[in-house]
Amino acid sequence: MGFILRRLAFYLAAIFVAITFNFLLPRLMPGDPVDAIFLAAGGTMPPEVLAAYKEMLGFVDGPLWQQYAIYLKSILTFDLGPTIMLYPVPVTKLLSQTVPWTIALAGTATLISIVVGCFIGLFASYNRGGFVDRFVPVSLQLIASMPQAVTALFLFFIFAMILKWFPLGFGANPDLDPGWTWEYIKSLLSHAVLPMATLFLSMIAGWIFTMRNAMVNVLGEDYITMARAKGLSSRRIMTHYAARNAILPVVTSVAMALGFAVGGQIMIEIVFNYPGLGQTLVKSVGVRDYPLMQACFLLIVVFVLVANFLADIAYVWLDPRLRK
Amino acid sequence: MTIATDLTQLSPVKTESRFMNFLKKLKDNLARYYKGNPAAIIGSAIVGTIIVACLAAPLLTDKDPNRRVARGHQPPSAELWFGSTRAGKDIFSQVLYGGRSSLTVAFTAAAIATIVSLLVGVTSGYMGGKVDEVMMAITNIVLVLPGIPLLIILAALLGEVGPVVIAMLLGFTGWAWGARVMRSQTLAIRNKEFIIAAEVMGESKWRIITVEIIPNLISLVAGGFVGTTLYAIGAQAGLEFLGLGDASVVSWGTMLYWAQSSAAFIVGAWWDFVVPGAVIALMGAGLALLNISIDQVSNPKLRTGAYIKIWKRMKADVDAKRRGAKA
Repeated sequence: MGFILRRLAFYLAAIFVAITFNFLLPRLMPGDPVDAIFLAAGGTMPPEVLAAYKEMLGFVDGPLWQQYAIYLKSILTFDLGPTIMLYPVPVTKLLSQTVPWTIALAGTATLISIVVGCFIGLFASYNRGGFVDRFVPVSLQLIASMPQAVTALFLFFIFAMILKWFPLGFGANPDLDPGWTWEYIKSLLSHAVLPMATLFLSMIAGWIFTMRNAMVNVLGEDYITMARAKGLSSRRIMTHYAARNAILPVVTSVAMALGFAVGGQIMIEIVFNYPGLGQTLVKSVGVRDYPLMQACFLLIVVFVLVANFLADIAYVWLDPRLRK
Repeated sequence: MTIATDLTQLSPVKTESRFMNFLKKLKDNLARYYKGNPAAIIGSAIVGTIIVACLAAPLLTDKDPNRRVARGHQPPSAELWFGSTRAGKDIFSQVLYGGRSSLTVAFTAAAIATIVSLLVGVTSGYMGGKVDEVMMAITNIVLVLPGIPLLIILAALLGEVGPVVIAMLLGFTGWAWGARVMRSQTLAIRNKEFIIAAEVMGESKWRIITVEIIPNLISLVAGGFVGTTLYAIGAQAGLEFLGLGDASVVSWGTMLYWAQSSAAFIVGAWWDFVVPGAVIALMGAGLALLNISIDQVSNPKLRTGAYIKIWKRMKADVDAKRRGAKA
């Protein structure tokens, strides 16, 4: 329990850093974001709306700590104001429409790649020096070393443009009404295949290597020899003795992998025109929509931290030593 | 060769032999690294070829990457090896000159990140206590904050960012994982006899860190440098692809950006993005191979392939001898 609480405190600190970062950056940069907002809206914004923006971004008159308090309050009450890009749609409403797409896509791709990667890693370490061990991790590593933007462009070009197996972009067929109909779900799935494949290809090699290397280290331990001496079957040794311990480094590397996956997700959403959080972030950057931009960034940070926290809980579940 | 003989005439024999010793040691180390390590050989060949080609750009092409030399979107031909962009610029010369910018950014970012991670990791691991706690808290927060979204926000606030700023941003955001790896390795060796001996002899902390600890981290430093270069190439290409870089600078990322924004896909001008994409992929593959090979040298347990065969053969020999002895 102590472990979980310590991690929770750490994540709260990290969120706090991200919020402070969001608060300080526009103030350290030359120029005032509110002026930029005014320009971005084409100078047509009424003065009271502008004043509201100033207040929401914390650019009120007063000492810095007071501005900071106001900014914190607006975040904690989810009062993020209207967007500029699609004025007057509130930021929270726009985000609630885009977030499910990203979570579904990135979450599924991450889970699939962890599971498949661990199994391939297990298999490779089980058959050290075999065909799979020698060629599969390395060739997948070569694919993963391409930036996701490039992988996405190649997949898009080959499978959507030339072969026409998959649609050219967007989350689902816009002609269909969203709902639990077979046709709509089929459209959702066929639109998700290529983005998901890109993310999967960019992550899988990392999991294979982590798992395989952890297995190789664990297999040298005395308790494995002991298990072998007891006459247990290789399969049982692999799954019950080695894999359970080897999976721990995999769980700890989730932190780095997720940050990487989120970055890739942004590129993928741009290439496939997928209506998720990443695309909203880039669009808001393009039109200098500060409120939306900052909200997107904070939300991404929160997602990464929540996923990390879930990984920590999994760690406690897997490692009894932490449960004291 | 002439330089070497000149040196012997000018300097005392001792310096010369020390220099030759260093060269010999370097040669031995390199030979040991490359021997039976195809990943290292192929990786170095790819990375080396690309670097040399970019440096020798003026010799390989006489076309200016920034000037219109043909009609827009010409397919690859004998005249234009990789075709032309929508604006009629030669893609072959753009790839070569653009590589200079991309590689400089990647190597600078990797150098910054490696130095920061080495300093933070070793200091934190060796000092321990409060210093360690504070430094690791900072490192973990930097590690857990997602890098690319952070870079996008920073780039947006700074306006169109040039290669120098991108290199700095990537370097100062990409060090956290390396710092953790260096710290754990420092922790693993900090209680070894040679460190304690140096402490007992009254060596200063700074000297222990630089002379005793850092040389033992060289393979991690090399691995970290190659890994960060790989990350930086991808991140820079991504940022520029999103249009956050300075689009007037020719680099692999801006080439992708122009290909995307000039709708190269839709008009069927595949070479416009396939060429920069393939070069980035090739460079990435080369760096990944180098990284794998460094891993295998620094941690022999992880080796695959031929090593396993040798090991199995040796084991069979020993077993046979044992059986023979018993009989």
